[in-house]
Amino acid sequence: MRLLLHIAARMGMALLTMLSVSLIVFVAMRMLPGGFEMIILGPIQTEEARAVITEQFGLDRSLPEQFLSWLVAVLHGDFGISMITRIPIADEILRRLGATVQLTAMAVITALCVGLPLGVAAGLADSSTSVRTCGRLVGALGASTPDFVLGVALVYIFSVWSLGLTVGGYVPFFEDPLANLRAMILPASTLSVFGIALILRTTRESVLTVMTEGYITGAVARGDDPASIVRRHVLRNASLPVMTVATIYLSLLLGGAVIVEILFTVPGVGLYTWNALLNRDYGVTQSAVLLFSGVIVTCNMLVDIAYALVDPRIRGRRQQ
Amino acid sequence: MNAIVRARDLAVDYTMPGGVVRALDGASFELLPGRSLGLVGESGSGKSTLGLAIGRLLPANVRHAAGDLEVDGRSVFALDDEGIRALRRTSLGFVFQSPMAALDPTMRIGRQITLACGGQPDVGRVPELLQQVGLPKGAARAWPHELSGGMAQRAVIAMAIARRPRLLVADEPTAALDTSLRAQILDLLVALKNETGSALVLLSHELPVVARVCEIIGVMYGGRVVELGDSAGVFSRPLHPYSRALLATAHDGARPGERLAPIPGMPPVLSGPASGCSFAPRCAFADERCRSERPPLRPIGGRLAACHHADGTAPERGSGMSSGM
Ligand SMILES: Nc1ncnc2c1ncn2[C@@H]1O[C@H](COP(=O)(O)OP(=O)(O)OP(=O)(O)O)[C@@H](O)[C@H]1O
Ligand SMILES: [Mg+2]
Repeated sequence: MRLLLHIAARMGMALLTMLSVSLIVFVAMRMLPGGFEMIILGPIQTEEARAVITEQFGLDRSLPEQFLSWLVAVLHGDFGISMITRIPIADEILRRLGATVQLTAMAVITALCVGLPLGVAAGLADSSTSVRTCGRLVGALGASTPDFVLGVALVYIFSVWSLGLTVGGYVPFFEDPLANLRAMILPASTLSVFGIALILRTTRESVLTVMTEGYITGAVARGDDPASIVRRHVLRNASLPVMTVATIYLSLLLGGAVIVEILFTVPGVGLYTWNALLNRDYGVTQSAVLLFSGVIVTCNMLVDIAYALVDPRIRGRRQQ
Repeated sequence: MNAIVRARDLAVDYTMPGGVVRALDGASFELLPGRSLGLVGESGSGKSTLGLAIGRLLPANVRHAAGDLEVDGRSVFALDDEGIRALRRTSLGFVFQSPMAALDPTMRIGRQITLACGGQPDVGRVPELLQQVGLPKGAARAWPHELSGGMAQRAVIAMAIARRPRLLVADEPTAALDTSLRAQILDLLVALKNETGSALVLLSHELPVVARVCEIIGVMYGGRVVELGDSAGVFSRPLHPYSRALLATAHDGARPGERLAPIPGMPPVLSGPASGCSFAPRCAFADERCRSERPPLRPIGGRLAACHHADGTAPERGSGMSSGM
């Protein structure tokens, strides 16, 4: 019962977060110089033409009115139409969601598959060995290289020597898996570098901390072999901070996806949102941001629940 | 009968960026199977280092400088990694100071005891262990954070005896507990020792406590065992001047409302082998020989003591210090 209440409270908070994000984005976009009507009409425009457009899309109404009507429509599941293409926004986003989901999934999976084992190995290695030095180096380099720098470098390198990989030329996975992967490997790697570094570092620190705990000494004193100590005690206890950081990574990833999709011209939600922002296609940007914040908020809640599953102390506290 | 544990002139250094600390400086003792030994000494005298050395559990910055330590006739320093693990599994059980830290917070007590038994214990072994250490059956379902300190230490003890060790090493097992619980836990350890026939090494800085529960007392100072003998004897008629001083502070501390009379001076922090008796700077009877010649641990009056003057050259009973015992 308490648990349900807790979850309800968390969900309330999550919705509130999404609402505030929407409001902030709404205000920020309207503060950008040049509204939709200015951009769509180009340099040669008349007062009348502008009036027609603002009226057509209800842009002449007061800002609170506009926001409220958008909100009410969204709550009814209606995200409106793109002012540029006149196609329902939901359809536009759904069509592009596949590429973005694939991109972020590849990045997260790569980051976890590389970062976790390296982090555990670096955490378990003796302080003098090269494994730990190597881990520290990768961690520091990866975490301090911005996505766009790495992306630009990769775009340059691979447009000179292709090595079978392509920059741009995206095809949906189910049409041509091979061509799809050739186009996705570079953007996904770019996105994953930061994640690898972040997860490697966190895992290493976390493992190092756990290794000094009394229950590890206890297991060693009972003559348990190192592999089973790692399996039974280290991984579980070290996983908590890693889960938190993985969610933070996912939040950053959505921002990174926008940049990487632009750089590698991957036709995903990120690129779409960017173009919508340039065109002042308000409804599209609003909806995309709502989607992004929804994903982040959901991830945070999932981590919260995972925490409680791993650590009984949190469960106990929550049920009190 | 062969000793279950025997240290011979064991010397151990901690190497640190700032230099070397000699934590054990030629410590010697031996213990027969089934007996209980209490090692007492001030903070820094090397008790924990000696306790950890029994299971070769010393941290990575430790250097085994000299001497040897045997468990069940096998030198722990000569064994390979699997050998020492096997020895820990079959012959040794450890109980450390902080019971809460010793339990994995993400695992139920029953599961941890099961693992301590070797993974697949007989049905009924876990409840049997719980009962032996005085925990209710339901404790198996509990998480560590749901236990009190005393219960947690009982769970840790259950894990330590799970594989019926021949030697139980307990390093200040009550230091983190409420004073009211201390006697219970110590009595439990002794009861289990008697019940299972294992030997017990209890490390503590409280001489009276150790004298009450252990058959043999070893007094440690400056990384050495300076006096070793049966409890009643050491407690009533300590031979080594340091033992006498330790006993005196213990008596003072026992009187309520009065301040402890500490031994004047500081315990040594050695960086290499001491040239003479390391207690000499604090000893009222010290002379030139004490400062220049290491006193060996030698038999005196049915006991062992490492003091040049312990055989009667110095007053045998320190001016009424041990009166009343
Ligand atoms: N991990 C370590 N690194 C460096 N020096 C250490 C370490 N552990 C102990 N020492 C030093 O070794 C000496 C003996 O320490 P030890 O912990 O064995 O004493 P102790 O008798 O158990 O003391 P206490 O009553 O405080 O537990 C001390 O001088 C201490 O500073
Ligand atoms: Mg100690």
